[in-house]
Amino acid sequence: MKGYILRRIGYCLLSLFLLSLTIFFFVRVTGDPATLMVEPGASQADLDAIRQQFGLDRPLWVQYAAFMASLLSGDLGQSFYYREPVMSLYLSRLPNSLLLAFVAMGLSLVIGIPSGILASVRVGRFWDNAGKLFALLGLSLPSFWVGLVMILIFSVYLGWLPSSGSGTPLHLIMPAFALGWYFAAAHMRLTRSSMLEVLGSEYVKLARLKGLPEALVIAKHAFKNALIPVLTLAGINLVIMVNVAVVVETVFAWPGIGRLLYEGITFRDFPIVQGVVLMGGAMIVVVNLLVDILYAVIDPRIRLER
Amino acid sequence: MASSGAGAQLTRRDLLAVAALGVAAGAAARPARAAAPAGQLTYAVHVSLAPTWFDPAETLALITPYMVLYALHDAMVKPMPDNLMAPCLAQSWSASEDGLSYEFVLRQGVKFHNGEPVTAEDVKFSFERYRGAAHELMQEQVAAIETPDPQHVHFKLKKPWPDFLTFYSTASGSGWIVPKKYVEQVGDDGFKRAPIGAGPYKFASFTPGVELVLEAFEGYWRKTPAVKRLVMKVIPDEATRLAALKRGEADIAYSIRGELAEELEHTPGLSLKPVVLQAPNWLYFPEQWDPKSPWHDQRVRQAVNFAIDRDGMSKALFGGYCKITDSIIPYTFEYYWQPPEAVYDPEKAKKLLAEAGYANGFDAGFLYCDSSYSNMAEVSVDNLAQIGIRTKLEPIERAAFFAGYTSKKYPRGIIQGASGAFGNAATRLATFVVNGGAYCYGNYPDIDALYPQQADEIDRGKRAAILEKMQQLVYQKAIYAPIWQLGFLNGTGPRVGESSFGRIPGFAYTAPFEDLTIKGA
Repeated sequence: MKGYILRRIGYCLLSLFLLSLTIFFFVRVTGDPATLMVEPGASQADLDAIRQQFGLDRPLWVQYAAFMASLLSGDLGQSFYYREPVMSLYLSRLPNSLLLAFVAMGLSLVIGIPSGILASVRVGRFWDNAGKLFALLGLSLPSFWVGLVMILIFSVYLGWLPSSGSGTPLHLIMPAFALGWYFAAAHMRLTRSSMLEVLGSEYVKLARLKGLPEALVIAKHAFKNALIPVLTLAGINLVIMVNVAVVVETVFAWPGIGRLLYEGITFRDFPIVQGVVLMGGAMIVVVNLLVDILYAVIDPRIRLER
Repeated sequence: MASSGAGAQLTRRDLLAVAALGVAAGAAARPARAAAPAGQLTYAVHVSLAPTWFDPAETLALITPYMVLYALHDAMVKPMPDNLMAPCLAQSWSASEDGLSYEFVLRQGVKFHNGEPVTAEDVKFSFERYRGAAHELMQEQVAAIETPDPQHVHFKLKKPWPDFLTFYSTASGSGWIVPKKYVEQVGDDGFKRAPIGAGPYKFASFTPGVELVLEAFEGYWRKTPAVKRLVMKVIPDEATRLAALKRGEADIAYSIRGELAEELEHTPGLSLKPVVLQAPNWLYFPEQWDPKSPWHDQRVRQAVNFAIDRDGMSKALFGGYCKITDSIIPYTFEYYWQPPEAVYDPEKAKKLLAEAGYANGFDAGFLYCDSSYSNMAEVSVDNLAQIGIRTKLEPIERAAFFAGYTSKKYPRGIIQGASGAFGNAATRLATFVVNGGAYCYGNYPDIDALYPQQADEIDRGKRAAILEKMQQLVYQKAIYAPIWQLGFLNGTGPRVGESSFGRIPGFAYTAPFEDLTIKGA
């Protein structure tokens, strides 16, 4: 078991190293940030001074070595735009992203799971078709459009909710819904298919033959088992929601990590893009590592196979 | 010692008068307005506010930081309504006859937000601490700064530099004054966290990426601001900014374009506030120095100038709020020469093309542009097609486009360029026309020969004549097809009295902040 865990940790570190290498070089392919820090037509001396100030005039490998050296000491570098440590910027935005992600996830589960169950027990009937339509809309309507339509209806026309910003529970409603909407559809589809699979299994048939009420069969025997893949997906989706709610956070001016990434991309702020991507990658790697370890604990065959 | 330059168009005699007025008005600077500030105005800002904008020493060659600098800080000399070189912390200044020194007299009784007086030492410290745009150039030119007493500052130059005041007052942040004692006490990072300036508004709080809160500084020398509190909220999405304005969550919204601007204009209670930026757009013909290219013929380039429907384009894309100057130099710049009015005449364009031997037009290759402004380039492609010049639009992401433009990656076809850089006519010509300019794909010896003649010329009249001649040559040779100075569209809500939009020519944002008012307050 110890060897297995060490192997998995080794893979994780290798993944993060490859991620750091990829993101470091990819952001530099996108162009020269100095040109975005001045007005077009600024003097060459000003451009050169900026490149020198941020170390962009050094060879790439020197920049990468410096980046890795800082990374190993927990330093994600300093933002070109904000001139603040990326780590402190990230941590200042993290609570907002976590709050938004948890509320959006809650909404997506509250909407997705019951509608998925309803669709699965009414296959081919009205609720199933309504669920399919909901899933289709949820997965195909872009979140920026959903967000803007919500602002138009609930802020501009009805005047019920603030159009943007943060600070009160009312500020959270629209961005959480716009973010959760897509995931609700995904959760609904998975719940439906998972429920259908479980409802066709032998033990559910046995439960019905025993004469148990249908509600009890669905709630106790089918739903519990069908929930496992849904919750697994929800866990991964939560990490995605925290790190890449770029569009929703931008539309609603929500000060989270997604908007930080948007700003990083907009201003070619390499340290911000690198930092946010690496932190997101680290979260996913750690979650996967924990899942792998849990699987190995539950099923000894896994640790022997690998 | 002779007085010099209080404004772009002022003579020495005018300056003396201005200086005398300054002495009279500023002998004991105190707020002109007695009423206490009241109320709050909320801004919906289109870009993230960066702490570097709180420190004038960090000012890059970018106009956006001035959105905050005008509120928090004050400069010795800065652009103000009706005077692009207005005496502010300096009540007057003069230049020596040989152009080797400038003497500034500070306004008396001016204080920083912490109550400390603004002194000559602060002026010297701010200049020496400055590390933003044109920093190296200014350090190279200035030999020494002397502060004989707290009210006087002498800048000694290594050689005559007629652009000293341009750079000190408008093209850099070196003339914006910070309190020496406080900066030394808290350090650079501490200063950005809690900046103290001499501007009309004091720093109250800042949440990166969210909002900046400013409080009126009742001791501001020019006048006590009428509005007590300003909240600048960052709302990156344009439609959301408009929604915030409609709901009254914001009173002033920056950058509302296209159809949204039209909607704003037609919404009762809201007002569209267009301002003309010091950012001209143009078409450039990099092949004009190649004798084998159609662009080598001046008539072909002139034809393009007649083919562009600037008015139509402005109405379609910017509500008609762009300013058509027919120059690549902003009309607000010192030494600007106004070319004849641009004319839209496709028939004349076709005739010129026929005279040049291209009656059936020609394939001109790509029209390269910054993708942010590809809508303008689309109209140009269409206008050119109407006279037979066939081009393909090649929008390129902003940073890559300007990197390609300067590194001469587009030697064929047409380039749609732009510049919002600070300076004057001379600095623009140096960058875009004269041999060695960062954006020049070729040069004309007659124009090049004129450039050094004006560079050290301290007689303003003679210098203006040379620079006008250079601009006339640029126009006659049709090196460029200027399009316009871009209109920047903003909105205000029903509570706003004086918004200060457009009061400082070429400035994109609301300033002077001390003039802002709330209706009925």
